[in-house]
Amino acid sequence: MILQVGLGDRAAFSALYDATSAKLFGVCLRVLNNRAEAEDVLQNVFVKIWQKANLYSANGYSPMTWLITLARNAAIDKLRARRGGTVDIDDVHDLSDDAPTPEAEAIASSERARLNGCLDELEADKSEAVRRAYLDGDSYQDLAARYDVPLNTMRTWLRRSLLKLRECLSR
Amino acid sequence: MSPEEDHSDDAALAGEYVLHLLDDAERVAFERRMADEPALRDLVREWDEKFSLMMQDIAPITPSAAVKTRLEDRLFADTPRSRSPWWNWLTGGVVAAGLAVGAVLLMPNLISGPDMAPTFTANIAAEDGSLIVTAHFTSGTNRLHLSRQIGDALPGHSFELWLIADGAEAPVSLGVLPEDREALIDLPSELATQMTNAVLAITDEPAGGSPSGAPTGPVVAAGPVTGA
Repeated sequence: MILQVGLGDRAAFSALYDATSAKLFGVCLRVLNNRAEAEDVLQNVFVKIWQKANLYSANGYSPMTWLITLARNAAIDKLRARRGGTVDIDDVHDLSDDAPTPEAEAIASSERARLNGCLDELEADKSEAVRRAYLDGDSYQDLAARYDVPLNTMRTWLRRSLLKLRECLSR
Repeated sequence: MSPEEDHSDDAALAGEYVLHLLDDAERVAFERRMADEPALRDLVREWDEKFSLMMQDIAPITPSAAVKTRLEDRLFADTPRSRSPWWNWLTGGVVAAGLAVGAVLLMPNLISGPDMAPTFTANIAAEDGSLIVTAHFTSGTNRLHLSRQIGDALPGHSFELWLIADGAEAPVSLGVLPEDREALIDLPSELATQMTNAVLAITDEPAGGSPSGAPTGPVVAAGPVTGA
C-alpha cells in the first residue's frame, strides 16, 4: 500500500490512513499525552508519509516499523519543542499501558518476546531507562535526574545497556 | 574506553541516535556520517526495527475525524482535480531535490551543429543521491540521450523511465533503461512536443519493465525538464 501511495495514489493514501492512523495516533499520544498535540503531529506524520512514500522501498524498513518510527520521531520532536513543559509520566502510563487490544496481543511476536527477554536481562532500572527513552522520549537529563546520577554516568550506563541488548538480540 | 567498546561504538551511537539521546551537535554529525555510510544506516534501521516492537503494546486510539479532513485539505485542496496524481508529489520534495542536485552535463563533443544542440535537459535524481541520470533531448532529432551517472537496478529489476507531461493525467513510458550507462532513445514526435515543463521519473520495475504499461513500482528518482 505504501508503494501505491508513493505513486501518488490518493485512494491508497486514504486506505493507508484508515488502516494505520489509530495505531499511529496511539503512538503519538503515548509520547505526548496530549490529544491536541498528538493530532497535530499525526497530521504532520501523514503529510510526511505522502511526500516520502516514493522513497520507502529504498530504505529497507518493514512497513509498520517505518510508519511507527516516523510517528514516534515526530512526537518526540514535538515533545522536545515543548521544552520546559512538564510531562506527567504517570498519566502517560495510565493512558496506554492498561489496555493492550486483542489485536496487539495477537500480533505479539516471538521477536517482541525476544526483545523483552533481552531487556529483562538488563538490571531493572537500566531496562527501564531504555524503555523510557524510547517510549517517553526521556533525554539524558531526564534520566540522570530520575536515577539521581551524574549525566556522564547515565550515558555510560545507557550505552553499555545498548551494547548488552544488541549482544543479546544477536544470540 | 576499552578497545571492545571502541569497536562497537557505532552500534551504541546508532542506538542513542534512535532513542533521540544525542545532543544537537552530535545528532547533526551523526546524520552527516549516515548520509555517506550505509553501515550506519543499517545500524539505525536495526535499532528502529527492534525498538518499534515495544510499540506493539500501544493500543490504537481513533483520532477525531477532523484530522483526516484537515490532512486532505492541506495536501490536496489547492491541486486542480484534472492534474495527474503524479504531479502532486512531484511538486513536493522530489523536484526540489532534483533541482538542488542541479548538475547539468555538457553534451559530448562529438555532437555539434545547431540542430544537434540539446533543447532540453533534465537531471533525474533520487532524493538520497543513490540514482542520478542526466537526460538531454534534442528537438532536431527527437532523440533523448541518457547518461546514468550513479546507481544500478537491483538484480531481477529494471529501471523504467517515464515522461509526465505538463498537466498530463498519467505518465507515459519512455522505456526501460539499458544496462549500458549511456543510451539513446528516439521519441515519437507526439511525445517530443511534450517536453516543455514536463518531469522525467524513474521507477523500480520487474525485469523488463512494467507489465501493465503503467508504473507498478516505487518512484526512485525524478527531475524536471528544463530548457538547455
